[in-house]
Amino acid sequence: MLRRLDTLIAPVVAIVFSIVFASFILLAFGANPLDTFLRMFEYATTPRSMALILNSSTTYYFSAVAVAIGFKMNLFNIGVNGQYRLATAVAALVAGYITFPGYIGIPIIIFISMLVGAAWAGIAAWLKVVRGVSEVISTIMLNFIAIGLIAYLMAPSVLGVQTAENVIGTPIIPEGNRIPEITLGNAPIPVYGMILLAVALGFAYWYILNRTRFGFDLRAVGMSPTAAVASGVNVKRMTVYAMLLSGAVAGLVGLPLLLGAQYTFTVNFPGNYGFTGIAIALLGRNHPVGIAFGALLWAFLDVSAQILDLIGVPREVIVIMQGVIVLSVVIAYEVTRRIKVRRQQAAVGMAGHQ
Amino acid sequence: MRRIIKIASVLFAGALVLAACSSSEDTSTDTAPETPAVKVGLAYDSGGRGDGTFNDAAAAGVDRAVTEFGVEVNEVEAADSDGDPERAERLRLLAADGYNPVIAVGFAYSAALAEVAPEFPETTFAIVDSVVDAPNVASLIFAAEQGSFLVGTIAATASKSGKIGFIGGMEIDLIRAFQAGYEQGARAVNPDVEIQVQYMGPAGDNTAWNAPDKAKIATEGMIDSGVDIVYAAAGGSGLGMHQAIAAAGGSAAGYWGIGVDSDEYVLPARAEFKDNIITSMLKRVDVSVYEVIKSVVDGAPLSGVQNFDLSREGVGYSASNPAVAPLAAVADEYSAKIVSGEIVVSTTLD
Amino acid sequence: MLAVELSGIWKRFPGVIANKDINLRVDVGTVHAIVGENGSGKSTLMKILYGMQKADEGTITVNGKPIVFSSPSDAIEVGIGMVHQHFMLADNLTVLENVVLGSEPSKAGRLDFGAARKRILEISNSYGLDITPDVLVSELGVGDRQRVEILKVLYRGARILILDEPTAVLVPHEVEELFQALNGLKAEGITIIFISHKLDEVLEIADAITVIRRGETVASLNPKQQQVTAEQLAELMVGSELPTPETQGSTVTDKVVLSVARLTSVNKDGKEDISNLDFKIHAGEILGIAGVEGNGQSELVEAIMGTRAATGEITISGVNVSNLGTRKRRELGVAYIPEDRSRLALLLDAPLWENRILGHQTKAPNAKGFRLTPKLAKEDTKTIVKEFDVRTPGIDVLASALSGGNQQKLIVGREMSSNPILLIASHPTRGVDVGAQAAIWDHLRAARENGLAVLLISADLDELIGLSDSIKVILRGKFVADADPTNVTPQELGNAMTGAVKAAS
Repeated sequence: MLRRLDTLIAPVVAIVFSIVFASFILLAFGANPLDTFLRMFEYATTPRSMALILNSSTTYYFSAVAVAIGFKMNLFNIGVNGQYRLATAVAALVAGYITFPGYIGIPIIIFISMLVGAAWAGIAAWLKVVRGVSEVISTIMLNFIAIGLIAYLMAPSVLGVQTAENVIGTPIIPEGNRIPEITLGNAPIPVYGMILLAVALGFAYWYILNRTRFGFDLRAVGMSPTAAVASGVNVKRMTVYAMLLSGAVAGLVGLPLLLGAQYTFTVNFPGNYGFTGIAIALLGRNHPVGIAFGALLWAFLDVSAQILDLIGVPREVIVIMQGVIVLSVVIAYEVTRRIKVRRQQAAVGMAGHQ
Repeated sequence: MRRIIKIASVLFAGALVLAACSSSEDTSTDTAPETPAVKVGLAYDSGGRGDGTFNDAAAAGVDRAVTEFGVEVNEVEAADSDGDPERAERLRLLAADGYNPVIAVGFAYSAALAEVAPEFPETTFAIVDSVVDAPNVASLIFAAEQGSFLVGTIAATASKSGKIGFIGGMEIDLIRAFQAGYEQGARAVNPDVEIQVQYMGPAGDNTAWNAPDKAKIATEGMIDSGVDIVYAAAGGSGLGMHQAIAAAGGSAAGYWGIGVDSDEYVLPARAEFKDNIITSMLKRVDVSVYEVIKSVVDGAPLSGVQNFDLSREGVGYSASNPAVAPLAAVADEYSAKIVSGEIVVSTTLD
Repeated sequence: MLAVELSGIWKRFPGVIANKDINLRVDVGTVHAIVGENGSGKSTLMKILYGMQKADEGTITVNGKPIVFSSPSDAIEVGIGMVHQHFMLADNLTVLENVVLGSEPSKAGRLDFGAARKRILEISNSYGLDITPDVLVSELGVGDRQRVEILKVLYRGARILILDEPTAVLVPHEVEELFQALNGLKAEGITIIFISHKLDEVLEIADAITVIRRGETVASLNPKQQQVTAEQLAELMVGSELPTPETQGSTVTDKVVLSVARLTSVNKDGKEDISNLDFKIHAGEILGIAGVEGNGQSELVEAIMGTRAATGEITISGVNVSNLGTRKRRELGVAYIPEDRSRLALLLDAPLWENRILGHQTKAPNAKGFRLTPKLAKEDTKTIVKEFDVRTPGIDVLASALSGGNQQKLIVGREMSSNPILLIASHPTRGVDVGAQAAIWDHLRAARENGLAVLLISADLDELIGLSDSIKVILRGKFVADADPTNVTPQELGNAMTGAVKAAS
């Protein structure tokens, strides 16, 4: 119980600190902090906003888990952006051009998307294992290559079509290839069906990390590569597996939006969820539940930024708040970690003197 | 593990601060003295008011409407991470709050507007640079190829070397039309003119609109190979073109830049380079936005495709810089031919 | 005259009193030994003297002046230098760079490595430290690294040296060289505070000895004036009799467990770290490898474990494992106690029960198929903690919270409880206190009787001679001599290790 409490203290302190910090910024902009937060809260708790928040957090959750898988092994997958964009583009092309019978198309499309994400991340893994190229560098480079590759695929002379004036993208996805939505109570907009997959992914992520040999090996490499090697882990192989897994999950990032709302991949498809995923993975300490809370918080802030704009408060306040939350959570966790270690050492000392 | 978390968070926070700094401009608006009947909702694309070109052009149109009609305005702005649901929600919030007209600046709002417009049949919507097929939407499009044709004639006439350049933003049809018009205009004056073209990024690479460093290098390369006039249709990246022109010696050395969208000669953000800006291709987003607001004020809202071309003064070239005067005769001559239909400017290069 | 005087030092941690009214008087130009078990509070005391921690009560007087330290830099300022047990060297810098790090010599604003190099060589030569300034620290063995640490402190002009377990990693002749150097320093008026477990050495070098037990000073002795034996010291330390590593009778069978043939490993410079090693270990046999640190022992162990590329043939109970990975080898029943426990044998940020899984991920009670079985692993960890006397409040504390000795007990317990047929043990009792050492010896002896084959590497020659059934001496990656543990002395063995004399067999 006490331990539970310990893990909660850090994020709570961080969020309170960010609220105080944001209040000062709001004051500096001449806005009343209390009023502003009330408006945010009021707006975010309408059924429509809550559905929007759930939808955004579904996307963020996939992205953060993709990043967290890498983090658990000390791999910094900055390439989630490129992985999911390419994966979504290919999935959108398949879904747009091929009409599958019944609902069989959906699993096929999801699988293809994960496959493309994994393959793109696999290039970075291969470069790291065979050539010793840092995954930080290679995944950033691959992001740019992905953009170029997508631009090529989307050219009307290749596979793209004009979906609106000045907008090129993939053909509109037929009904059968779309993921059914879920209507919650009286919410005016439905929730992405992919949210169920996100929940399942959270469970799978937890189970694999904590209850399987594979997960143990992965975490061991993250905590101490040398000890992992001595314990019999093939670090190179684990690096490849972890990157492939991370990329496969990254392949899911764009699907809620693609198969649940936009039904087409255009050149305007949001391109920065990977970056958000890094922040949320940090916020959630790579823990499946922590990430879920982080994703919800992030989505809440994003959605309420809309209302800030409308009431004349600069939306950058939200961006600043998000940044401050991430920084202070990281600091707070480090502080509580040190306190915990010190307390344990004292307890050990006591045991030693008994 | 802990180390990588620390590095990641510092990188992340740094990037956030940069993002926040780069886009925070004044978003407040003047409110008219008495309570007006018309409330205008303006949804900018990312960058917002103060981006130096596109969004600013829309802002100028609204500002004019505010002074002339005393309308109330609320301006909101897209985030880089927005998908269609976020953009739709933005338009929806404005419409639900009673704003009418609601003007979406930029083609990125196309799908969002198509979704939201039917929900508010009593509200007049407008979209810049795109076509949305709904009875209560005015689609504001521009014959950018015609304006670009005119600055093309000026470029080819002014060039001493016979080599001119074009810097494009994202390589999409919208910008290719600028390039096409520019090349046709230049060739009309000088069939032998050499035209160098560079885009700042492929379709989908949103950084193409805000890569001044890349544009600077591209322009420097053109200058090195003898180009002396460069036309940039590249959003925020255009700044790099001006920097390179200035670094090469500017107008004193015979190098000129051509601006786009707004009249960059008078734009405060370009004050430093004004002496090197011989003209700008004017895409009168301000005129279109102003006309939409005016139509609502007048009680006869615009709808359907509104093509702002030369004849409607929706595009044109700027004569603010006195240096352009000797060249204006050529441009005006072609302008007349285009308006009369004698010359038809194509949006594509064959 | 007193160099250092500590009086009435108290230091409390939450729930623990680490130092209880400690008094210590160190004369200028003497070697003063502080002995005590692990966890007796001597490390805390030294941290207080070095400014790393603040005493709750008590006074520190250096050279007659009362001093309050708030950080090690204050201590360095008054001429106190510390050589830590855990080396604080940057692997990817050279010796020279490590030594000057933090006090970079400059000439007209530019780094002046020339002068520094000269001084390092001067210090090195005058105290016989045998240091080459331009070698990367990562290429040095443990022994060399320690000498670099000592040099580093001397370079900063320390007049009072704190040496934390300095001989733990040295072979006898190196110890003697170190002692000669210490005597030389002493003659020049430098004061040395010497922390050690090795009571024979303490008696040899120390002018004065302070014994600490459970945070209290229990005795101050003067071995130069009064007759003190190692046994007496040990009894003062632990309050019980000193254990010995002797094994009783031979349990060696004729069943070969480990067979190594033509084992050769080439490092990245093309040099052979180990060349053409041949040996066999039988069930019930302990084979000791004697050698000066850095003569191929680590490479031999890594080659057997499969974490280092090597040619030749390794057979474990009849299975040729030469081309198998580490995991496959461990699954055959190989237990491994590595030299560097925090780097190779522990996940410091993981709880004890997860550390129990490490190295045995594929076996019961840790796993069943691809699944882990945390419940069983936790229960087994509790058993290990109890059987091997790991002092911890529970199995959910992080490994980093345990003291070095307790970490080692956990590792030994983990490896021994997997019912291995072969144990590869590097310095299994390094850094553990006398009681734990005896317990580990007991476990080794019992396992040997049950048919365990052991490859034992130890710098503690008493341990090596006492436990081993046979000893091979390794020098520059080759076996140069065999020794019979029943009649070889540590001195003879030490000479053989340096290549001076062939060991008596």
